[in-house]
Amino acid sequence: MSTLPVTERDKNELPVIQQIISVMWPSFITASAATIVFFTVFDPTELAMIGGFPNLTRTGGYTIGFFCFWLLTSISCAMTCYFRRPTHRRNPDSDTASNA
Amino acid sequence: MSEPAATPNDQPIEEELYKKREKLYPREVHGVFAVLRLLAVAALLGIYYGLPWVNWDGHQAVLFDLPARKFYIFGLTFWPQDFFYLSMLLIIAAIALFMFTALAGRLWCGYACPQTVWTEIYMWIEQKIEGNSRQQRKRDQGPRNAAYFRVKITKHAVWLLFSLWTGFTFVGYFTPITELWTNFMTWELGPWETFWIFFYGFATYGNAGFMREQVCIYMCPYARFQSVMFDHDTLIISYDEKRGDPRGSRKRGTPSADVGLGDCIDCSLCVQVCPVGIDIRDGLQYQCIGCAACIDVCDDVMDKMGYPRGLVKYTTENTLQGKTTKLVRPRILVYVGILTFVSAALVYALVTRVPLEFNILRDRNVLYTETDEGLVQNVYNLKIINMEDQPQRYRLAVSGIEGLQVIGQTEGIEVASGAVIDLPLRVQVDPVELKTSSSEVMFRIESEINPDDISIQERARFLGPVLR
Repeated sequence: MSTLPVTERDKNELPVIQQIISVMWPSFITASAATIVFFTVFDPTELAMIGGFPNLTRTGGYTIGFFCFWLLTSISCAMTCYFRRPTHRRNPDSDTASNA
Repeated sequence: MSEPAATPNDQPIEEELYKKREKLYPREVHGVFAVLRLLAVAALLGIYYGLPWVNWDGHQAVLFDLPARKFYIFGLTFWPQDFFYLSMLLIIAAIALFMFTALAGRLWCGYACPQTVWTEIYMWIEQKIEGNSRQQRKRDQGPRNAAYFRVKITKHAVWLLFSLWTGFTFVGYFTPITELWTNFMTWELGPWETFWIFFYGFATYGNAGFMREQVCIYMCPYARFQSVMFDHDTLIISYDEKRGDPRGSRKRGTPSADVGLGDCIDCSLCVQVCPVGIDIRDGLQYQCIGCAACIDVCDDVMDKMGYPRGLVKYTTENTLQGKTTKLVRPRILVYVGILTFVSAALVYALVTRVPLEFNILRDRNVLYTETDEGLVQNVYNLKIINMEDQPQRYRLAVSGIEGLQVIGQTEGIEVASGAVIDLPLRVQVDPVELKTSSSEVMFRIESEINPDDISIQERARFLGPVLR
């Protein structure tokens, strides 16, 4: 992304706290739900055996599983936020650049 | 009474959303609803911190034992296979929340939500250490001297200790708490337990100490959609505009009519006590968590002025418009109906629950084989899970085809509590008896100790050639 001049739109952007929350929080909720469902079906110690970590405890497995889910869901939330940005903004600078 | 302060919320709401958040200093309140909320906070925190230490039948009464993959809830033991009951419980909780919202608005938010409960206790600690809201504001605007840091460091130290205790209790719901305590005292906590104590403690510290009303405004999905459950008969907290306006100050004890004003003396106390920083006189707003602090403080003012109480009160849209409020209405009946049905279903399912599960897996490599004696043979692998809290002995019967023979263990099958065993089994049938290439067979497994209560039947397919 190139640097854009401060426009009216930028002033109307959401507060930083709300931007952070809109990525980290929905992903946290969905990751929690996914963790519960996933580990209801699969026993982390069995998965750890297959994965080659025979010493991993269940609590450790749940923890790693949860954070993997959270990482994935937060990437997805972040991408949603990123793609929601308008693809081009009309501003005086770009108009003069294309006319020149 | 102190001097009336300028209301911080004079801007329209649209602007409010994009404004940088300013720290709120809600004034402390005394009154009926403050007492009720205090009772709710005390009861709920008491349950949260006390429950893990209660024992039942030789185990922790409520323990979601994740390391052992089983849940104890008083006399009941659940396994991962019982996920169904948990989902039903969640459905019941959700519908109950909808029903209470339709009836009485945001009761949950004002009195029972963990965010409210912990914010309340963190604000209490803050007031004990930092003084009342005026003193806090003064300190924050004043110089950063030794006294300032001493007070702040004390507050954060107490908050952090309380957070860690909260985190410890949280982990105590998932691993046996007495064990956890012993490990903590001997400095032998596992790395994952330690991590979760700090993680949950940090979340509590952040949410109750700093985020506060922002959690309700930005993070709570319920706050966003609760309004769809509202109707004109829902209990809301409202300012009586007809009675209060026009607002204005006047001498104590002056009847409103004499000065040509409404009963609202515009003291702005309702704004000062609001934990989410709104003005209730602007009407129903989604930020309002229904804590009733404004009711308490306004009633106090009305008493001092010699006016009747209830300028701000629990009321309904219909009452405000002079109509009657109906308690029983279709929306409520539907919620009650669903709630009764799902609860009855859960109770029935729990009462008739068989603490035994078994799955039949066919050998996937071969459809069938023929033995030297000319019999058709299918191979099955049975998985038997004993979901009781004690070891069990089972026996097995297979039926469905004339003269079938079972080769493998069918009696005295021992399974430890919570264990899964694999039971390979061969079933042989005379091909003359096979009507189709895929016949149905029934597997019945029952407890040898208690066959009446613990038995399950499962269907499976028996494959073979068709003789013409």
